[in-house]
Amino acid sequence: MNTGTQQRLEDINQNYAERYGFHDPEDYFLKAPKGIDHELVEMISRKKNEPQWMSDLRHQALDIFRAKPMPTWGDTAMLGEIDFDNIHYYIKPKGEQTSDWNEVPEQIKKTFDRLGIPEAERKFLAGVTAQYESEVVYHSIRADLEKLGVLFMDMDSGLREHPEIVRKYFGTVIPTRDNKFSALNTAAWSGGSFIYVPKGVKVEVPLQAYFRINAENMGQFERTLIIADEGSSVHYIEGCTAPTYSSDSLHSAVVELIAMKGARIRYTTIQNWSTNVFNLVTKRAHAHQDAVVEWVDGNLGSKLTMKYPAIVLKGERAHGEVLSIAFAGHGQHQDAGAKMIHAAPNTTSRIVSKSISKDDGRSSYRGMVKITKGAHGCKTSVECDALLIGEHARSDTYPTMDVAESDVSVEHEARVSKVGEEQLFYLQCRGLDPDKARLMIVNGFIEPFVKELPMEYAVELNRLIELEMEGSVG
Amino acid sequence: MASTEHREVPAARRPALTGDGVAALSAQVGEGPALFARRRAAAARYATAADPDRVSHLWRFTDPAHLLPETLAAPRAAAAPPSPHAEHAAARVLMLAGMRPLITAGLKALAAGLVVKPLAEAEEELEALEAREPAEGADPGSGLFQALNGAAWNTGLYVGVPPGAILDEPVHVLIDAAGGGTLPRLVVDVGRGAQAVVVEEHTGGDAGSRVVSSSELHAADGARLRHVLVQTWGEGVCGHLTARARAGRDADVLTVFASFGGERSKVELTCDLAGEGARSEMIGVVMGAGRQRFDHHTRHRHLAGRTWSNIDFKAVADAAARSSYTGLIRIEQDARGSEAYQENRNLLLSDRSRADSIPELEILNQDVSCSHGATVAPVDPEQVFYLQSRGLDPDEALRLVVRGFLEKTFGRLPGDLRERLEDLVGARLAALQGRAS
Repeated sequence: MNTGTQQRLEDINQNYAERYGFHDPEDYFLKAPKGIDHELVEMISRKKNEPQWMSDLRHQALDIFRAKPMPTWGDTAMLGEIDFDNIHYYIKPKGEQTSDWNEVPEQIKKTFDRLGIPEAERKFLAGVTAQYESEVVYHSIRADLEKLGVLFMDMDSGLREHPEIVRKYFGTVIPTRDNKFSALNTAAWSGGSFIYVPKGVKVEVPLQAYFRINAENMGQFERTLIIADEGSSVHYIEGCTAPTYSSDSLHSAVVELIAMKGARIRYTTIQNWSTNVFNLVTKRAHAHQDAVVEWVDGNLGSKLTMKYPAIVLKGERAHGEVLSIAFAGHGQHQDAGAKMIHAAPNTTSRIVSKSISKDDGRSSYRGMVKITKGAHGCKTSVECDALLIGEHARSDTYPTMDVAESDVSVEHEARVSKVGEEQLFYLQCRGLDPDKARLMIVNGFIEPFVKELPMEYAVELNRLIELEMEGSVG
Repeated sequence: MASTEHREVPAARRPALTGDGVAALSAQVGEGPALFARRRAAAARYATAADPDRVSHLWRFTDPAHLLPETLAAPRAAAAPPSPHAEHAAARVLMLAGMRPLITAGLKALAAGLVVKPLAEAEEELEALEAREPAEGADPGSGLFQALNGAAWNTGLYVGVPPGAILDEPVHVLIDAAGGGTLPRLVVDVGRGAQAVVVEEHTGGDAGSRVVSSSELHAADGARLRHVLVQTWGEGVCGHLTARARAGRDADVLTVFASFGGERSKVELTCDLAGEGARSEMIGVVMGAGRQRFDHHTRHRHLAGRTWSNIDFKAVADAAARSSYTGLIRIEQDARGSEAYQENRNLLLSDRSRADSIPELEILNQDVSCSHGATVAPVDPEQVFYLQSRGLDPDEALRLVVRGFLEKTFGRLPGDLRERLEDLVGARLAALQGRAS
């Protein structure tokens, strides 16, 4: 650590010691103890050298997190397994932030090699932000994007370098007290992406970031804020993979999207946390007049995922789409869905949800479509398809339609089925073995989702599905 | 009618029920010690039952406090109305709070073995039924209302159809909501291979009337039961109607429900497909106007293999009426080879009407075929325009569109029932005047 930082830290510590009577060596920040309290929140904030308003927000959020009860709906049995005192809330990786791949530590590089980051780079994808243990360690952005005035950086840098934008929008889409986990995230957030696309700028290539949890019992609380100014467009891709751990881990991100008048945002996620991770995420977008927001959401990993990407259609003629797939294998519960709030006239939305439950896996669609008073002429459709593989697989559909206007059209359809014997028989007649035939049927089932992904993600997803489907016959 | 809209009633408010009160209710219906013991057990459950959870989908649209009677005191016996005629019916029954049911049964039906009697006098039958089919545990969602009815029912009826008996004509049960609190309790037992139609019609009452009903219907192996639940309450009546059916092996249950009257009503319908090959179909129609609130819940539970279920529920809401629907299909792990379908369509006739729909699925078995669909939409102006261009006036055109909306559902009903329901719908439609433009 350089002396400048040292100096700042000492200044901080003066105040800090008075307040808590506790003086801490900087090594402490390498790995904070388990559990969360005001002391830890203060340390995170001071370590990041944040402005006072953010520090205050974190402290308020912690109080709200503690006051709010756990959800009484959903998989309460699994939720009950979370031990909030047995989780690390902040870990800082070794090494400072860099924008040169060569400077990334060797061990971290190896992990990313396996995830395909260099390939992504070779393919001239716009920027790569790799999150490794809570903070961004690698960051690059193409020069031409910078010239266009596009801001793409980790959230910590965003707050440091563009405090006025962050302060204006942070927490405006998902307020701290939205739910218990958004409050926790607000108190403990670290990392995540900050993107601002100026008026009229169309980002042609997808921006992407990879996330990883890489220490046992470690929580990750990314905070992502994407603002697409009037008439601009951007596609952001977030992929998660994580190695397997022996004890449970908590991931609780907050993602806020703001699509101004006529803007377009597509947010693509493929989540493949190891099957001991609790993935409790709040994602919400504001779509202003004529804006389009699309969530493309794939849930393959984690023990329990609770994620309901939401779009508030605030301006006339805004359009929202959620396209999602979930794959629940042994011991997993994918509780995913979507929320559409039609708060302006002539807004339209579409939700397509596909799920596969295998072995004793359980996937649930939990959705909400709301048409508020005054939102005339809206159209919305929800379509859920579930495929069950195995005697003990389970599928649930919990849609809610709340319609306060009469000149609207609201549709919901759901189907649940198993892999058809006839389809299998036919494919086997054509010379495919049962495993391959089944895989082919599953691939056909998720095709509408896969075709929305950039090529390398589609390939990776197909590979993952193939792995999950191994030995599913019998 | 809007008087209760903003009435402040705490959700936890529930009418008191003392030991003496339970004894008085028991004495009034004239039940024996075994039924009295059941009543006391229900009273104990009532005392400790949790309030319905307003966060759960089942109760998110209705405040239970609106449906509860103010007092559970034994009602004064009403003046006996004229005895109902059993014309075109196997039996006719009139039920009023605090009064022994008036029963008229046809000779043909009696000869076939039909038993219709006050529940208080059916102790033996209930025991035999329970020995055959052990009673189920309390329902977690609406246990309060079930316990309340079990403890404080003030008019009860038992309908028994012996094995193999085939009744050509319906058992028509008219339940009048007159008075402050009507708590009717019905038990219908259709034996092996028997066939019966039971029409349960809730009618009458005024702004002070509250109804909490419970009907228990058993269709033994191979039985065929049609249960028709019609609600044509007077203005201002509020109530909670429960019907729970159980279908044995290869049994076939059809539940037709139609709600038209009252101010606030909640209807909960369950059918357990308990025996292999059992079938259950629920067909429902709601027509609301004024400030009426309807809340319907259906539940199909597939407990055995090769079972089949279908739900077709249509709601039409005019003026500031609101219809809420929640439905659950649950297919248990052992229910292999089952099929389940569910459809809810809502037609909104005015810009102040509302509809909510939550059709839920819980599938714990891969070997199933299951689907559901729900829609909420206004009258298609093009349809009205087209009909007007064929010479119909706007009101007629609107009425025709509503009839068209309900047509497919009515098409599933047996002829006599269809006629009766079409008459009720026709009466509601006649009120739709001078509003189409």
